[in-house]
Amino acid sequence: MAKGVLVDIPKCIGCESCSVACKLWNELEWDEQEKCKTAADRAKEPNNGLWPEEWTSINRFDLEKDGESVARYVKAQCMHCEDPACVSSCFSKAFQKLPEGPVIYDQSLCVGCRYCMMACPFDILRYEWKKAIPGVRKCQMCATRVANNQETACTSVCPTGAITFGDREELLAEAKKRIKEHGYVDRVFGEKEAGGTSWLYISDTPFEQMRFRTDVTTKPLPSYTEGYMKATPFVGVGWAAILAGLYVYNNKGKEPLD
Amino acid sequence: MASKAGQVKNLSRRSFLKFVGGTAGLVGISLNLTGCGDPATADEAIGGNGWMPTQYNAPGNWPTSVRGRVPIDPENPAIVRDDQKCILCGQCIEVCERIQSVFGNYELPIKKEFVCVNCGQCIQWCPSGAISERDDVNKVFKALADPNVTVVVQTAPATRIGLGEEFGMPVGTNVQGKQVAALRKLGFDVVFDTNFTADLTIMEEGTELVKRVTGELHHPIPQMTSCCPGWVKFVEYFYPELIPNLSSAKSPQQMEGALIKTYFAEKKEVDPKKIFSVSIMPCTAKKFECQRPEMNSASKELNDSNVSPDVDVVLTTRELARMIKRAGIDFASLPEEEYDKLMGTGTGAGVIFGTTGGVMEAAVRSAYFLITGQQPPAALWNLTPVRGMQGVKEAAVNIPGVGDVKVAVISGLANARKVMDQMKAGNAPWAFMEIMACPGGCEYGGGQPRASSPPSDEDRNRRAASLYNIDAKSKLRNSHDNPEIKQIYADFLTAPMSEKAEELLHTHYVSRADDFIPKKSEENKLF
Repeated sequence: MAKGVLVDIPKCIGCESCSVACKLWNELEWDEQEKCKTAADRAKEPNNGLWPEEWTSINRFDLEKDGESVARYVKAQCMHCEDPACVSSCFSKAFQKLPEGPVIYDQSLCVGCRYCMMACPFDILRYEWKKAIPGVRKCQMCATRVANNQETACTSVCPTGAITFGDREELLAEAKKRIKEHGYVDRVFGEKEAGGTSWLYISDTPFEQMRFRTDVTTKPLPSYTEGYMKATPFVGVGWAAILAGLYVYNNKGKEPLD
Repeated sequence: MASKAGQVKNLSRRSFLKFVGGTAGLVGISLNLTGCGDPATADEAIGGNGWMPTQYNAPGNWPTSVRGRVPIDPENPAIVRDDQKCILCGQCIEVCERIQSVFGNYELPIKKEFVCVNCGQCIQWCPSGAISERDDVNKVFKALADPNVTVVVQTAPATRIGLGEEFGMPVGTNVQGKQVAALRKLGFDVVFDTNFTADLTIMEEGTELVKRVTGELHHPIPQMTSCCPGWVKFVEYFYPELIPNLSSAKSPQQMEGALIKTYFAEKKEVDPKKIFSVSIMPCTAKKFECQRPEMNSASKELNDSNVSPDVDVVLTTRELARMIKRAGIDFASLPEEEYDKLMGTGTGAGVIFGTTGGVMEAAVRSAYFLITGQQPPAALWNLTPVRGMQGVKEAAVNIPGVGDVKVAVISGLANARKVMDQMKAGNAPWAFMEIMACPGGCEYGGGQPRASSPPSDEDRNRRAASLYNIDAKSKLRNSHDNPEIKQIYADFLTAPMSEKAEELLHTHYVSRADDFIPKKSEENKLF
């Protein structure tokens, strides 16, 4: 059964245990400059604090709610689409969607074309521009832990239950229950966005104000190109056959040395 | 013997292939045996099912038991955290939630800020040193380098029995004289002792208590101490309805700060604008306290907005040790020196402010004097029921003319929470309560040297014993006997709780109940 994570934004206290857990489990390097940034600093950056060595980050948004100023902490990482555009755009099979949910990447298959980065509707992927042999980096949803029936590193350390790991279907039902109970915004971000994602977000403040891409299509992105991309081999082979036929026809009856 | 050189061995194509085949076979068998040469199957080949990136094949450096951590605001005036050192062991949550009852005692979502009383116990519990005090050492070095500035420093009762540990001395070593010498060597112009204002606090707080009991002052009983800024902030957050019970007297640090820029400046004819007041504290919450907008009495009193806050910078014991190490001072070989006069004399009653029960013991001695006009009996110099590391201690002191006065001593905010809930229910038989945020009091405060072992009552007892030892050896053991206290009331303040004393030595508190949503009930607990 496909796994997922539910992010209950109002429950987050911004302790950033999750991003430290990500660093520890994935052995990501610390950057002196990034380390000193606060959640509010990151929210002002165009990239939501995601870098090749920062697969997840907490961003603080200061908002108005019922006439009061409130702060909300939002976790950013790969959404792990059900039908990921990065996987379909990768011709060298460096990306894969596992049946358990994670979308994973293998650098040994990567040719470095970065089509995946252009395909991603949430602008999550980061390229290691500074490296001699660069790769694309992003959250792998702790694929080895998930495969071993463990939860992801980040969810395992959350002290408030703001991020919950579980079966996607069950989490979706839980999300809808919480929306009703707490009077949240009536939308589970990730239920239908980009054809559905493994990570689901619920919130009591509008998603638009917290830098969510709310205008993203609900159709799976690969479905836009799937139809004609499927015809590519036939068109290629057919075109070659036609040209070969024309060549044979044009050269019929000619002497080889003419 | 004929040389074999030049002999040509006939090698047929058949024997060559046999040789090569045999070697390859051997290599193949040995690879198979060692498990290195598994033949690639569809499932295991790269790109097949069950495919994993190579970066995941080795286990990570993941601690065995991880439980998250407390949130720390990047703007927190007292506490900072280095994420790179954090191992998510959950010790900070443990102490903040169970011992201090702060974390988890508010509803989510948070409103404006994280609830934090700045007590710094998380620093003491953090096993990897990720959490520490906000470092203000450079501000002090800058002031010391400025020849136009008079840098005045005060040292809290508990730093003298903590500082030595930073230099490899046994737990609880009294380094009062060496500390003074080190401060002079660092370039501080005047070295005062917070014990002096601890005595002054007793005079003010004691007078206030007597006035409350006699009904002269219309404030509720029991009176609660207000020396501990962590405790004060805790009341402001969780029990705003009990704010009237808090003594209006400032903490000794803030009294000393206010007097440095008024009394000291007047006596020694120093421009208050050019005084930089530093305090060395065993505490991180003091960093928050000195930044409170109310703690600006000197500027108000002198009617000069150019006078900076009463205490400009608070350094923890650890920061002072860092300063001494950075200046290359050989601490162990320093001579013993004396505090400067005017505000540098403290009594035994002042020094025991540094441990739980100490304020109470000092208060009882002087309350006896204030009520009866006579010196307290020797039994009050060793008030054993309020000594020790129990979280809640009670005692009844017989004072002639009043009868048995019931007092309570509490350390650790979770203990305080239980007693406060009891008080709200109307069950408070005490006249006076001493409450310290940190278990054991200031001697194990958030700014004291970190021990290599987790916080323990053994270390707390050793530090407390050292403070009681200083008290036992003091010539003066009652706050009201301090000659400098008599002098300041004669020369400057006139009397306890006089108009001037109210102006400089007393303060008010603000409710912080609007900053967060308190936890509704235990069942409703979200985390």
